[in-house]
Amino acid sequence: MMQEVLRLQNLQKSFGSVRALKNASLTLREGEVVALLGDNGAGKSTLIKAISGVFPIDRGDIYVRGEKVSIRSTREAMDLGIETIHQDTSLAPDLSIARNLFLGREPVNLKWLGVFAPLDLAELRDAASALLKRVGISKKLDADALVSTLSGGERQSIAISRAMQFAAKVIILDEPTNNLGVEETHGVLRFVKEMRAAGHSVLLITHNIHHVFEVADRIIVMRRGEIVAEQTVADTDLLTVESLITGADLSALMKRAQ
Amino acid sequence: MVQQVMVQQVGAVTSEDGAGRAKGRSSLMRSPQFSSFVILIVLLAVFALADGNFLSPLNISNMMAFLPELGIIALGMTLLLTAGEFDLSVGAVFALAPVVVMLLVQNAGIDIGVALLAGLLLCIVIGAINGVIVTKIGISSFLVTLSMLLIVRGAALYITQGFPLKSWDQPGFFVTLLAGSFNIGAFRFYTSLWWFIGLSLLAVYVLRYAKLGNWISAIGSNRNAAVARGVPADAVKIWLFILTSVLAGLAGMISAFRISAASPVAGTGYELEVIAMVVVGGTALTGGRGTILGTIVGALMLRAIRNGIVLVGVPGLAYNIFVGVIILAMLILHALLQKNAARS
Ligand SMILES: Nc1ncnc2c1ncn2[C@@H]1O[C@H](COP(=O)(O)OP(=O)(O)O)[C@@H](O)[C@H]1O
Ligand SMILES: [Mg+2]
Repeated sequence: MMQEVLRLQNLQKSFGSVRALKNASLTLREGEVVALLGDNGAGKSTLIKAISGVFPIDRGDIYVRGEKVSIRSTREAMDLGIETIHQDTSLAPDLSIARNLFLGREPVNLKWLGVFAPLDLAELRDAASALLKRVGISKKLDADALVSTLSGGERQSIAISRAMQFAAKVIILDEPTNNLGVEETHGVLRFVKEMRAAGHSVLLITHNIHHVFEVADRIIVMRRGEIVAEQTVADTDLLTVESLITGADLSALMKRAQ
Repeated sequence: MVQQVMVQQVGAVTSEDGAGRAKGRSSLMRSPQFSSFVILIVLLAVFALADGNFLSPLNISNMMAFLPELGIIALGMTLLLTAGEFDLSVGAVFALAPVVVMLLVQNAGIDIGVALLAGLLLCIVIGAINGVIVTKIGISSFLVTLSMLLIVRGAALYITQGFPLKSWDQPGFFVTLLAGSFNIGAFRFYTSLWWFIGLSLLAVYVLRYAKLGNWISAIGSNRNAAVARGVPADAVKIWLFILTSVLAGLAGMISAFRISAASPVAGTGYELEVIAMVVVGGTALTGGRGTILGTIVGALMLRAIRNGIVLVGVPGLAYNIFVGVIILAMLILHALLQKNAARS
């Protein structure tokens, strides 16, 4: 049995009268890719925002490597080794690639100056270039280029490389292939496999079930704020998963049609 | 002299930006502060040709006396705009701060140093209230600071009953510090010019080279992305509101000391003049892209326009037509350059 990295127990979160998370529990183990599936509004983004410290949960417990933690800010989530690539763009378009890669964790000189410390521009550029090379964005992206000049896929790759660079234990991707072209999508899926190979745990939210069967080890399905099913990819098939997501028993329907 | 310095600064910073030499040069040509700078030179040349007195020591001294007072506020406004917010209450704070200081001195007999400190504290409180309401309650800075403009201006009028106060005019440390003057050849400069230069250098450093500047640009560019990286966006914004208020108060005190009067209607309309300086320099009103050098160019430009059109004999009531047309032309130019850059 692989070691448990992240465990969520009975998470609850409401927005006014909307109960976005009712009683969500799940476990993520070392080096596995778990796909989180569910219809729009099922609560997937809410779940991962709670884990990554975007907002506090109402009730429930979060354990990282078996230790109970409270995540009150995005900073705390990052310090616990949880890196998230949010559905809405997670880059600042007016900043360079290098400045985005190190946003919030800038290399500086004269550290005692606090927020007034000067950026170590040479280190920033070198580290960014090295990282771009390492993650195999071959298309010769200039670390000083503004993110606003990049394509959607390039931006996604930057966001993913950023998550990888700090050796995060858990990487969360919220619909990372939305609005991407075919080639860019394959790039993202390749990243996911590389991350698993490098020992990271990945929580992947997507609407594309084919992608799930290509990269995931396990599937967790959410419906109306609850986790309604959990299966290993090896033990299930496309139709079953689709019916779990919609709540309709598709495979039974199909059998009857035959 | 000022012009040469500007050329060097714009060149130095922008080539630092680009990756290679050649690329540095082309991005220099396209950068908004550069196009503003070129237009500033053209304007100065036109005014100089139209009226021989424009570049006379007396006139330059005059321009340099006014420049820092709006320029200092514009520095704070640039940082605030870059973070995606703005402050309409600066003109009112410009009036209230010195009025309160003078009332404390004249009516309550408080020491001038202590009174100045109290004035500063008042600015901090005003800025903090702006910042907290904008970030924590989530009302747009337009509405919050517009209300604050009315409150602060109203307070200045009420506590003075609408009459200007005679300002502190006994020579001493604080007068020298804020409104002392000195001669260089035929030029007469005020210490406020040093304040402006010093604060400008600090602002350039913070926005371009410090960790904080990276945060400010990121917050204005995509607040959620910055927050997701652990950047304390609300705290940064609150401090920028405080900074802007304090700079407005400082500028008000400098002005009151220079002309030896603290008027409750001083600085009326400054908020728009300052925002014009900032956007004319190339800072984006929508946040994310700010340039202090551009703001300095913008401040010089608006000062030169206001001064030059008087000299060339444009009728007084027509000033604002010219100012408005030039601002609009600058903004169109920036927008076109921005479009071009996005396409290439
Ligand atoms: N910040 C918010 N304020 C109010 N309601 C929200 C907020 N975020 C999400 N919701 C609601 O919570 C439910 C779950 O949303 P979400 O987690 O984004 O779903 P998913 O990502 O699975 O599509 C939806 O009904 C949505 O409208
Ligand atoms: Mg979602």
